[in-house]
Amino acid sequence: MSASRSLRFSGNALLLIAAAPILFFLLLPSLIIVPMALSKSQMIQFPPEGISLHSFADYLGDQQWVESTLLSFKVSVVAVLIAAVAGGTAAVALHGRSFAGKGLLVGLIMMPIVTPVVILALGDYLLFAQLHLVGSWVTIAIAHAVLATPYVFISAQTSLTSNLNPALVRSARSLGARPSSVLYHVYWPAIRPGVLAGSMLGFAVSFDEVVLALFLQGPNSITLPVRTFTAIQFELTPKIAASASLFIALALVALALQALAARKTGQVS
Amino acid sequence: MNAAVQPGTPSASPPPVGREVEARSLWKSYGQGAYVVRDVSFALRRGEFLTLLGPSGSGKTTTLMMVAGFETPTRGEILVDGHDVASRPPERRNFGVVFQGYALFPQKNVLENVEFGLRMKGVPSATRRRRAIDMLDKVGLAGFASRKPRELSGGQQQRVALARALVFEPDALLLDEPLSALDRKLRESLQNEIKDLQKRFGISILFVTHDQDEAMMMSDRVAVMAEGRIAQIGSPSDVYLHPATPFVAGFLGETNLVPGAYRGTDEGYAVVEFKDAVPGRARLPADGRTLTEGETVVVSVRPERVRLLMRPAERKFAGVVSDYTFMGRHTRYRIQALGQLLTVSLTEWSPASAPCAGSPVWVGWEPEDAQILSGPDGALATHQEIGR
Repeated sequence: MSASRSLRFSGNALLLIAAAPILFFLLLPSLIIVPMALSKSQMIQFPPEGISLHSFADYLGDQQWVESTLLSFKVSVVAVLIAAVAGGTAAVALHGRSFAGKGLLVGLIMMPIVTPVVILALGDYLLFAQLHLVGSWVTIAIAHAVLATPYVFISAQTSLTSNLNPALVRSARSLGARPSSVLYHVYWPAIRPGVLAGSMLGFAVSFDEVVLALFLQGPNSITLPVRTFTAIQFELTPKIAASASLFIALALVALALQALAARKTGQVS
Repeated sequence: MNAAVQPGTPSASPPPVGREVEARSLWKSYGQGAYVVRDVSFALRRGEFLTLLGPSGSGKTTTLMMVAGFETPTRGEILVDGHDVASRPPERRNFGVVFQGYALFPQKNVLENVEFGLRMKGVPSATRRRRAIDMLDKVGLAGFASRKPRELSGGQQQRVALARALVFEPDALLLDEPLSALDRKLRESLQNEIKDLQKRFGISILFVTHDQDEAMMMSDRVAVMAEGRIAQIGSPSDVYLHPATPFVAGFLGETNLVPGAYRGTDEGYAVVEFKDAVPGRARLPADGRTLTEGETVVVSVRPERVRLLMRPAERKFAGVVSDYTFMGRHTRYRIQALGQLLTVSLTEWSPASAPCAGSPVWVGWEPEDAQILSGPDGALATHQEIGR
């Protein structure tokens, strides 16, 4: 008993020794950003000189940066709404059905994940240029929705497979529920956690997406990642680090919310 | 654990409710495949408890699903009070269906579950609330309205499922193996609850099971199904004691099959000449077919219906005890007689007076307890066929 415990302990120690450097390596770039944002200097640099919050103030006081931040939120929210509807309904429609070409259809939905984004961006650019839509934030949102849909689809599908008791559909119908009622009373509760989790992922994917946003940008539709990318080339201002730090905080909040939600559903089931 | 089902008035049971449901020559095949249901007809009378009993793959669940509307018959009619409903989707029929595992809506509470059918049928919220509460009261779950299904015991979940299926006054209840996943003890108490509820509400029930004891205990009539057909339909005692086919005989319990030759009738019973020209008597075939002199027949006699004597008597066959096993409630003898091993089950048995292996004995039966079978000779249902 104690032998196996000590074995487990030494195993855990080994795991820690192996994992810690990797974890550190993965986190390092993120960790460097925060002290850089707190620098007194007017240039972005590491190690920082002194401690100051002026870069945060500069960032929040700069209208262009604030506009880009709000625009990014707008784009991501709209993209996620479209993706949630498209991915969620696709998962419901394909659930428990088998027909010729189903694999092809699923492959089509999943394609944006495996297609190089540059190719997507080029295609989108050429298409939307034809339609004279390049330069509008809605266009970026639509392009992002395509990217976010597979994430919602996959997690909604997983959610359906594990949560939906097929007898519930029959049960509801035998009680007089028409298809729309079955969707609302049976499918939606089963699919909701998947759609929410997929939407969060989709939001993250959209919010920091650069390539599509760069191709489809216009004077009034520069998303935050695009502005950061341009700024790092020409300005080297610590506002970059400040906005990045805010993202990290945002990501932490999102993670915490997700953990909380997981705990809540864990209690439920 | 279970509060007793609310003890309704013990006086006369209520008049039957619901409508007469009739299946008329139902056939079902998927695509170009073989028929899984073949020419199934039955009538569920008002207030009746009818069970479709059969092994897995016998077509019983498909038949129930056709009545419920989840499967479309390839051919045939489903009549409710004479009107064909076969083309209507399930939501436009009026049956209360109870599924295995009960399929309660997990995120809705008990009251919302019971209300659901009324809500879907557009009953105003105050009325449906009152009716649902009233129904919960009737099934003894008055205090459980705000519980979630996962907070209920298996027995309570069943009552919610039944309440949910009964509250909108369905034409009949359709129960698809609701008890199959449960352990024996809980199962028996839930069988009693269903039976009680049926008597109190006077509702007709179409029940599906593969468990012959369950079918025997609960049903007014049993339809034994095999390979997509109804092999026999009748009261539990009828199908048990007077099986029509070797399959029915074997599926409902252990039996002795004794071959012989038909030699005319005597006092309404068939005279059968067994091996070594020993004559015996048995009931004529349950399906009413006529026998020809000299025809080979198979007689089925249940082990507990075989009489065992220590001395010769009229119409008894000589035999020798091969072995016996004490089983508690009964003792199971195997007797070498009529050219085969006969199984005999004795309930009154004491070690002192018991014949031991090798003893000469005489066996026989009342002609009422022996049944000439129809159908494939000797093709008794095997365990594989019976399944599960």
